[in-house]
Amino acid sequence: MMEIKNVYEADVLVVGGGVAGLMAAIAAAEKGARVLVAEKADSRRSGSGAAGNDHFRCYIPECHGPDVERIVYEVLHFSQVGQCHDPHLTRVFLRRSEEIVRKWESWGIPMRPTGQWEFTGHAYPGRVRSGLKYDGKKQKAVMTSEAKKRGVTILNHMPVIELLKKDGRMAGAVALDVSAEEPSLCVIAAPSVILGTGCTTRLYNNMATPGWMFNLAYCPSNAGGGIAQAWRIGAKLVNLEMTSRHAGPKYFQRCGKGTWIGVLRYPDGEPLGPFVDKPDRACGDITSDVWNSSFTDVMKNGRGPAYMDCSGLTPEDYDYMMWGMDSEGLKGMLNYMDEAGIDPRRHAVEFMQYEPFLIGKGLEIDEHGRCSVPGLYAAGDMVGNFRADIGGAAVFGWIAGEYAGSHIGENAAFSDEVVCALPHVAEVRVLCEKIMNRVGGCPWKEGNLAVQQIMTDYAPSGPHTARSANLLNAGLKYLGDLRQTLLSSMSATCSHTLMRALETLDLVDVGEALMHAALERRETRPPHNRADFTFTNPMLGELFLTVRKEEGNIVKEWRKKDNSR
Amino acid sequence: MPPIIDPEKCKGCGTCAQICPVQVFRFHRAEEKTPRPVFGEECWHCNCCVEDCPAGAIRLRVPVPYMMVHVDADTLKPARSRHDGN
Ligand SMILES: Cc1cc2nc3c(=O)[nH]c(=O)nc-3n(C[C@H](O)[C@H](O)[C@H](O)COP(=O)(O)OP(=O)(O)OC[C@H]3O[C@@H](n4cnc5c(N)ncnc54)[C@H](O)[C@@H]3O)c2cc1C
Ligand code: SF4
Ligand code: SF4
Repeated sequence: MMEIKNVYEADVLVVGGGVAGLMAAIAAAEKGARVLVAEKADSRRSGSGAAGNDHFRCYIPECHGPDVERIVYEVLHFSQVGQCHDPHLTRVFLRRSEEIVRKWESWGIPMRPTGQWEFTGHAYPGRVRSGLKYDGKKQKAVMTSEAKKRGVTILNHMPVIELLKKDGRMAGAVALDVSAEEPSLCVIAAPSVILGTGCTTRLYNNMATPGWMFNLAYCPSNAGGGIAQAWRIGAKLVNLEMTSRHAGPKYFQRCGKGTWIGVLRYPDGEPLGPFVDKPDRACGDITSDVWNSSFTDVMKNGRGPAYMDCSGLTPEDYDYMMWGMDSEGLKGMLNYMDEAGIDPRRHAVEFMQYEPFLIGKGLEIDEHGRCSVPGLYAAGDMVGNFRADIGGAAVFGWIAGEYAGSHIGENAAFSDEVVCALPHVAEVRVLCEKIMNRVGGCPWKEGNLAVQQIMTDYAPSGPHTARSANLLNAGLKYLGDLRQTLLSSMSATCSHTLMRALETLDLVDVGEALMHAALERRETRPPHNRADFTFTNPMLGELFLTVRKEEGNIVKEWRKKDNSR
Repeated sequence: MPPIIDPEKCKGCGTCAQICPVQVFRFHRAEEKTPRPVFGEECWHCNCCVEDCPAGAIRLRVPVPYMMVHVDADTLKPARSRHDGN
């Protein structure tokens, strides 16, 4: 029998102690709420910001001038993150970004490590720049300690595996205690739940190293948990079909391409893009942010491969780049390069486009971070109608926490007895027991690989591939079959493999939701390419597509983007 | 196994096992002196364990397929001019 080992009560439950989650927790606690964070790993070093980050998108009036619209325009039309924004949220974010930057600085995160506001990388020559160069190496430890100072309870090694809803509003969640080898369950009763489980990785075949599922640019623990669980309780998801693809060094998947100071070149030395022809510390080479498919295209058109050539760097700029990579959390990659004798001053490293994943696609939120289910909030990379990576996670995490913490009475809480007695709790427990008690079943990894192969073939994303109604309908059938197979055959031997098995089931749900959305978007809007609808329909350009589950049915709705000021 | 712990240097503090973002290690404090990287294939190579280990006892072994393919930067020239010796 799998025990319910502990029952907790909180005003605000934060799911995921990443950047968004910790900011939400701190803000809610400042408003007087009793806050509990359930984190899959350890909040001091978890998620995509675990080892550091170095660009924080923001609007600092003393640098950018009094008109926020200037930066709004850049984010929406000149950045790699702006495609799926409700512009209203972009404005809310930018207006509050300076406050959060200054908060981080006051907590001891170096936001002006060179002594002044410095905006470099991911930029165009001659245009305004909004990526603040900072040093995020210790950011997670700092935020964890700020949360603790305010009385936040952090439960590490406690992934949330199911959200609980009653009478149409949030009641809490079930979490899996993976701190010991033997798994156990916890129930958390909370009327407000803020999700911050990050992007969704491990959904598609790994394109860098097919045999190594965890060779990823973003954190492999982010397996779509919050999105899948919110989908199961009927929350609205938005832009799910607009999968992203990141790029970086070939075969060694890593984020941080904006920190390289070099020129992307063809083997004949010609630059890929029109922006720079020698290393430029202020801008980097933004070509692959703009031409997202560049590295794949040049492999197909006979002109590739493409290389990042930093060989013309001055010694000062080289030092600056290496320091930037360290603050970005790339020390592991730098150590490898050292050992392998790869020196960016002499060697040009090939770049590639990685497999599809979800970032800035997922839960639909309003300006307070609220989702469509009362009491449910979301922030950070898992949100579907706004994306600004670290800055976005920090600012909207704060906004969601602040709102939830100051509206504690908005949703009445259920007692912990009522929450524990919800039929859903028993169902989750039975599922976990079955997986643990089964002997000789399918290990989670087989299941995860099966999800990936179906997604890759039936909901492909990006250049030189296309989806169609036939493929997507077949994919939905196969994912449905796979779910049944996994439910009847997956087995686990300890808390860790049970956690991975449940992640695999979450990935099946995320894949299904994505395919339903992709079926409904009957047009091509890269990276969503449809073989059966090859044109881009301008009528859909002003609209967003949402999907949700209602009593077993899939509801697909189009709505106008929110452009209010 | 990507993270490798030097048992001579390890103080058994458990930090690596605690903080790893993907939970590569198992550590039974009562019975073991050094954490074991049981799920080494899941290592993200984030380097957090290396950074946080107070004893400098951990190094990462990057799997061969992660090879960061590269060329000498001065070969990025039109093929003809290379033959010319430029
Ligand atoms: C190497 C690297 C460099 C980067 N550099 C930059 C940069 O310079 N600028 C920039 O803007 N962005 C950068 N990014 C992206 C940035 O780190 C992310 O956008 C940011 O961390 C998103 O914050 P988040 O809170 O949404 O998600 P995360 O920080 O990823 O946090 C998600 C958290 O949820 C936890 N979790 C997942 N599932 C569950 C579950 N079921 N239950 C409980 N907890 C769960 C995870 O363990 C994790 O702690 C970089 C990313 C990487 C990997
Ligand atoms: S952090 Fe270092 S000293 Fe501590 S247990 Fe791990 S390897 Fe040993
Ligand atoms: S490098 Fe990162 S993922 Fe790998 S064992 Fe160390 S902390 Fe874990």
